[in-house]
Amino acid sequence: MRVKVRFFAYFREIFDGREKNVVVPEGSAVGDLLDHVCDTEKRRAEVFKERALKPLIIAMKNGTSIQSLDGLETKLENDDVIAVFPFVGGG
Amino acid sequence: MSDISRYGYHGKILEVDLSSGRIEHKPLDPELVRDYLGGRGLATRLFYDRVDPACDPLGPDNILVLATSPLIGTNAPTSCRGHMVFKSPLTGVIGTSNSGGTWANAFKASGFDALILKGSSRVPVLLDIRPGRAELLSASHVWGKNIHETTEVLSEGAEPGSPVKVLCIGPAGENLVRMAAVANDRNRVFGRCGPGAVFGRKKLKAVRVSGKQKIEIKDRELYQSGLDQALYLMKQAPVTKRLLRELGTAGLVELINLISMLPHRNFQNCSHRDEDVERVSGETLAKTLLERAGGCFLCPIGCQRHTAVPSRDGEGEKGEGPEYETTVLMGPLCDIYDLEAITRANYRSNELGLDTMSFGGTMACAMELFERGSLTPEDTGGLDFSFGNAEVLETAVRMTALRQGVGDRLAEGSFRLAASCGRPEYSMTVKKLEIPAYDPRASFTQALGYMTSPSGACHLRGGYAVSLAFFGGTKEIPRFSLLQSPMAIRNMQNLGILQDSLGICRFTGYAFSIDPWARMASGVTGGDFSVTRLEEIANRVAALERMFNVEAGVMAADDELPARFSDVPIIAEGKERRVSRDDQERMRQDYYGIRRWDERGRPSRELIDALNIRRRKS
Repeated sequence: MRVKVRFFAYFREIFDGREKNVVVPEGSAVGDLLDHVCDTEKRRAEVFKERALKPLIIAMKNGTSIQSLDGLETKLENDDVIAVFPFVGGG
Repeated sequence: MSDISRYGYHGKILEVDLSSGRIEHKPLDPELVRDYLGGRGLATRLFYDRVDPACDPLGPDNILVLATSPLIGTNAPTSCRGHMVFKSPLTGVIGTSNSGGTWANAFKASGFDALILKGSSRVPVLLDIRPGRAELLSASHVWGKNIHETTEVLSEGAEPGSPVKVLCIGPAGENLVRMAAVANDRNRVFGRCGPGAVFGRKKLKAVRVSGKQKIEIKDRELYQSGLDQALYLMKQAPVTKRLLRELGTAGLVELINLISMLPHRNFQNCSHRDEDVERVSGETLAKTLLERAGGCFLCPIGCQRHTAVPSRDGEGEKGEGPEYETTVLMGPLCDIYDLEAITRANYRSNELGLDTMSFGGTMACAMELFERGSLTPEDTGGLDFSFGNAEVLETAVRMTALRQGVGDRLAEGSFRLAASCGRPEYSMTVKKLEIPAYDPRASFTQALGYMTSPSGACHLRGGYAVSLAFFGGTKEIPRFSLLQSPMAIRNMQNLGILQDSLGICRFTGYAFSIDPWARMASGVTGGDFSVTRLEEIANRVAALERMFNVEAGVMAADDELPARFSDVPIIAEGKERRVSRDDQERMRQDYYGIRRWDERGRPSRELIDALNIRRRKS
């Protein structure tokens, strides 16, 4: 399966770019994908706290927060766009 | 309550009648402080006690109250915000507007807690306030000057070490433009609801303040415990620690697009090309026009954007902005993705004294009317008001502030503009106030916030549900929950009332809620401003704002979104989303119930008695 990961705010510096195209095995979940892209200690430390997402780090599948789906267990489908970013405020 | 003339307050109000020129120093009633705290709460009570709710907002009987809070004058983070309450010339309901900067602190250092402006002068005047003395001086030498020029002229001659601070209007306020702002520190504005036009009608060009009067802290240990906690938490949370400084509020642009909440073409849809949105994002701004971040007085967050753009004649110019609302409402809402054009229009708005939000909403409305042939090239004097025409923005700002040509019609706001074209349905407003840059179809909570905001569609008074939209996802507060939105938005509104009454910035809410403030406010004053008491104050202020609105003629039918939001869906989270009339009615009734208002949206007698709200002084 081919999926896209998009990064926002300072995650663009941490992940060296605004997006990455990734090929993942069938049956993969969002957690597997984030595991895959967090390929350094620094990246992992920004996204994960132990096996969970760090507080105030948000991941979305096609514009829907994964918290309202199945969290990191949310299954991926072909052409999914996964966004990951620190909670940004403003207005 | 401890000594009100010492701890947290000076115990003094300045009341100025611009018709007679009479200036009075009045004592601040300790009961008002106990029940309404300061800022928005105190200003609302002082306003309610004096104004005729049926008055013409652009007549001499309108009253404008500006209040500070007990934290102003301390070193609490972001404690620099003043609050204005008046009857809005744009909406006809309560006008309530807030600004950071340095003016509120300087005003309090002149020895007063609040300023009441009544009546109307026949000639332009400047109110000059120093400790123990206030006088009205001629302002004819600055009438006609823009905000930056006025600030410079009126700041001249200040003694070294005793700076003066200037609060003033620009040409938009003088010309009674219904969306005119009042500015301090050049670019910090009381923007929403048209307070500049109220100043303009009173022929009050500026309020200049100076002084070094201090307040004292009653229980320093208690105050310090709240302060330490607040500062610690602000250093922990990414938003207050670094994100707002790095990206400004426009750091939200791409994310709001990601959740299908970024409005497009006067709220016709929320569909943009990602590459277009990226051109106006906070990230792009930071890489291109941003020179440095800045902060208001005592602010460690630093969301201000100090920017530079090439001007049309090839010379560069510098200024401030744009922030999120300006970027989106003058940008994608008008199908414009030109960051330089938006920034220039922002600069002109700052100079001329125009609310960028209501201007953006009105411009988008004008563009839709133009597209549909209801506003013709003849009406616009040949200007091309097509969606996407970035060239016209700066010109339209200037014409609006000066009421030139079609600008005279834009100056009335989108509701009156669309109505004058026979197409009121194209005005995207609630209670005639232009809707902020979050599409209400993308979050029921935000929709209800716009519906029930006391001042019309305002994300700051109505409740800021965007954080809920992000976490929208948590099982606790889904984005599209009819059931949970009323309680969620009531809580957000109450938090906002307290932040406005404490004189501090909304953005602290990304690091912590009300507990540290409760300790700081109690510590400063020696009074009981526990979380429970503060919640009671918030409910009291919400009820009083509603009482004024009901007396000014607001009915349940006014707590409603424009038909577009119930009739035309957007696509969000893969489904068609709208806020139907039935859904609006259900949420509204639940909300009234939670507030203990009756089914017509009137605060019940039992509530008014339970909150010990005094009836209007006759």
